[in-house]
Amino acid sequence: MTNVKLLLVDDEARFVETLSKRLTARGYDVEGALSGPEALARLGARPFDVVLLDVWMPGMDGLEVLKQIRRLHPSVRVVLVSGNASITAAVEGIRLGATDYLLKPVEIEDVMAKVEEAFEKKRIEETDETE
Amino acid sequence: MKDTRASNLWKPDAPPNERLAVWALVVPPVVVFVLVLILTAGAAPAADRTAALIIVACATSVAVAAAVSVRVVRHMRAVERQRDAFYQEFARLSKLASLGEASCSIAHDLNNPLAIMNEEVGWLQDLLNGTDTDEEVTRREFASSVEQVQIQIGRCREIARRMLTWTRDPEEPSGQVEINRLLTKTLYLVETELVATGVHVVKHLDPELPAVTGGSAELRQVLLNLMKNALDAMKGVGGTLAITTARIGDTVRITIADSGPGIRSELMDRIFEPFFTTKGEEHGNGLGLTISLWITQRLGGRIDVESTPGSGSAFHVTLPIARSLARPTHIEDAE
Repeated sequence: MTNVKLLLVDDEARFVETLSKRLTARGYDVEGALSGPEALARLGARPFDVVLLDVWMPGMDGLEVLKQIRRLHPSVRVVLVSGNASITAAVEGIRLGATDYLLKPVEIEDVMAKVEEAFEKKRIEETDETE
Repeated sequence: MKDTRASNLWKPDAPPNERLAVWALVVPPVVVFVLVLILTAGAAPAADRTAALIIVACATSVAVAAAVSVRVVRHMRAVERQRDAFYQEFARLSKLASLGEASCSIAHDLNNPLAIMNEEVGWLQDLLNGTDTDEEVTRREFASSVEQVQIQIGRCREIARRMLTWTRDPEEPSGQVEINRLLTKTLYLVETELVATGVHVVKHLDPELPAVTGGSAELRQVLLNLMKNALDAMKGVGGTLAITTARIGDTVRITIADSGPGIRSELMDRIFEPFFTTKGEEHGNGLGLTISLWITQRLGGRIDVESTPGSGSAFHVTLPIARSLARPTHIEDAE
């Protein structure tokens, strides 16, 4: 379960900070980004396995960031996080290639379960490709 | 090139009732004139005959036109009543829709501080369950998390306060409305969209602005429609939403201007038409401006549009000031 390289993207700085601390304490390799462009810059600088991505952010919104991630880093799995229980955004996100969807406030166990699932999918995909 | 148009109520291209009224005035005198000319040919001197014919023709024409007019007026009134009922019902439904949108935005606004508090409390539990023995670090972490929870409670309290100021609006159709306060409150409803679209607001509100007569709920709908249109015009590119109020003679003028691409001049005459939309069926029903104009006109006001292709559009809502200029009592002080 450990060693998953995780990028946490949300414009709420304190949310990123505290969730990062909690996930780091649970053995994940976590970095945070406070905007879409920052997330893309971090993804370009080093590899990540899973991105936890806020849907509703000022400037470049989450779905736009998702499109860019899918285009530039297709092997990275994206789990969307939203404060808005809008099924439309979830459906649109999955259509655009997100692996899963979480609603705020999130329980740490749910975050870990979704991250593990996404990481597992990525691992299987990579194994299939090398075979 | 700047294009300025005044509003006009939607009219179908060739109203059949008006055409009928014109025919009623023109056809009968001609028919009567020809008929009488044939029947009386040779019976009287030409001059007398012509004079008599004109009188008979005119009298017939007036009688027929009057009969037709009564029917036309009755029919037009019925059509107007149907239109009013439709617009009223639509205004009611779109008010519900904007409440729905507002609750979506409130849910998002509330879930963010809740998510932070959830993490802080989780972190406190982690610290309590942990084996970290550095007391000083643990104490600092505790203090920081508790402080953060207090900050987020403040955010929730602010959201609750805002919601209360909306619901305090009474729904009576008459009364006095203080436009500057209504504008500020309406801006709350689009705040999340403002942040999401990267639009910043510039307000020039006349502090001496007198109240206008009208229902705050229906006027808020007009302002909300115009603000949403302005935001849609700047979607994806950001820009400035300029809100200005001023007293002009015995009227109050509210201007809501965007820095979007402007309205193409060939579309200017059509923007108030029902079901006319440039947003695509999924995003617009084409009734926002129609209803806004209808509400404004019912309050004795008008909406004028100015648009400069490439640098934005401005919608001016002009409303008569309240007859009695006593300070309004039904909008609570939001500040």
